[in-house]
Amino acid sequence: MSRTCLVCQNIDCKSRGSEQVMAELEKRVTAKGLTDVEVKPYMCFGACQEGPNVVLYPDKHWYAKVKVEDLDEITDHLAGGPHVQRLDTIDSSLKELIYQLLDTGVF
Amino acid sequence: MEGILFPHGIVEGREGLKEYRVRGGYEALSKAIRTPPEVVVKVVSDAGLRGRGGAGFPTGKKWQFTREATGGESRYLILNGGEDEPGSKKDRVLLENLPHLVIEGTVLAAYAIGAAKAYLYINANYGAAIKTITDALTEAKAAGYWGENILGSAFALDIEIVPAPHNYVAGEDTAVLEVIEGRKAWPRQKPPFPVTVGLYGKPTSVNNVETLANVAPIVLNGAEWYRKFGTAESAGTMIFSLDDDLKRPGVYELPFGTPLRYLIEECGGGMKSGEKIKAIMPAAPSSAYLPPEKIDTPLDHNSMRDAGSALGCGVIRLVAEGSCIVEEVIKISEFFTVESCGQCPACRMETNTLTSLLRKVQAGQGGPPILEQFGKVLAFNKGKGFCNLIAMPGPPIESALKLFPDDFEAHLSTGKCPVKLAPHQIRKDIADYR
Repeated sequence: MSRTCLVCQNIDCKSRGSEQVMAELEKRVTAKGLTDVEVKPYMCFGACQEGPNVVLYPDKHWYAKVKVEDLDEITDHLAGGPHVQRLDTIDSSLKELIYQLLDTGVF
Repeated sequence: MEGILFPHGIVEGREGLKEYRVRGGYEALSKAIRTPPEVVVKVVSDAGLRGRGGAGFPTGKKWQFTREATGGESRYLILNGGEDEPGSKKDRVLLENLPHLVIEGTVLAAYAIGAAKAYLYINANYGAAIKTITDALTEAKAAGYWGENILGSAFALDIEIVPAPHNYVAGEDTAVLEVIEGRKAWPRQKPPFPVTVGLYGKPTSVNNVETLANVAPIVLNGAEWYRKFGTAESAGTMIFSLDDDLKRPGVYELPFGTPLRYLIEECGGGMKSGEKIKAIMPAAPSSAYLPPEKIDTPLDHNSMRDAGSALGCGVIRLVAEGSCIVEEVIKISEFFTVESCGQCPACRMETNTLTSLLRKVQAGQGGPPILEQFGKVLAFNKGKGFCNLIAMPGPPIESALKLFPDDFEAHLSTGKCPVKLAPHQIRKDIADYR
């Protein structure tokens, strides 16, 4: 089953560097040979103050305030490494809202 | 039925200064300018005039706030003729046909709030209206109704026309301020409201064209006369716009409280196609649908609210029996997605997500749980935008889900529209909502 890394690209997150985060994440995923992982833009997760946000789906992991320096750890997680606990700061009710939306196939 | 703005029904053709004077034109101004401005504010308050731009805010109160605001000496009056609500034609009709009624109302409003400058903000696509107003301004100035020493008094007013960009949020009152100040039409965060911090930071009253058109008749005939029209809560008349789905589309001035049925059947002649009505949207495109059983609801703010919808600026849209509500709301949702100015992330998130969800439903994807997502997305984003656009897709979508669940379920179970739409029932694109 293919996996997706969604990176928010709303104006707020773009102003916080989400375009660079997405481009760098794509490079690392390719370099690591994770052929089952697709990096895709997502309009907005509604957590602009916590952006840029990266959501792994269908794994349902959410990383907030992601910087380029964090991407090696996130890529390691995608390759079977440990969950990056310090970036997992989003409250569970928002996670639930967004995961339910993603379950309906809206991306 | 007797009207206030058009006493003998809507009459097309520009009313010149001479004709306007014959029926008492500018007498209200002559009378008001010899009394203190507070008298004008009071008569408009006592008459119960409410804004006709959609929100229904009491005009006298808005003027009082503008007068009382402490922001220095300068104050501004803005006539809002942006009129970008899809299907609304009333402001254009007033500007084109009754320019002096609009100008007299503008001068009276400026006098009431103590403004030395008024801007006429008019939809840039309304070439004929801009021409009519320009010509009427020339006539009125020559006659001493605006400029220096108006009618021999110490009151002076300069008036300037500003073309309004043709997009939905450009008519939002704080976006109007931005455009006049030379920036793009992005609403400002409120508070502060324009009445305290408005144009160039000064107290400003932004009033809809139809609102200001009511001022001269009120000042001339008094509050008691005005209150003979309409209801206790919504005094006067309102101009309603009917679209091409009806036999006789156009604009109709009716007293508040007139049953919706009268507007649809007597004025509009019912549905052009002869089909039965499946749903009524009394304030398109941002109000809740009403089922046909509510066709006798009186056309006033409180009655419409009690019926579960709104009166807005009086653009009525009908949905025919046999057409699919999913196809209707998807166009409305797309409209708001395109018209969101994009500066508030929550509004972009909400409008885009709602449209994506509706497209999934339309294609029969997502299963029944998808229907539960609409309310959650709307609740999450409630109150998060600078302007009210973020609240607009909610009523049409939620009322459609509540009133017509079968249409949604049919899409989800078959992946296609449950009805074969007749050509006239298909709104080809969002341009149909302009």
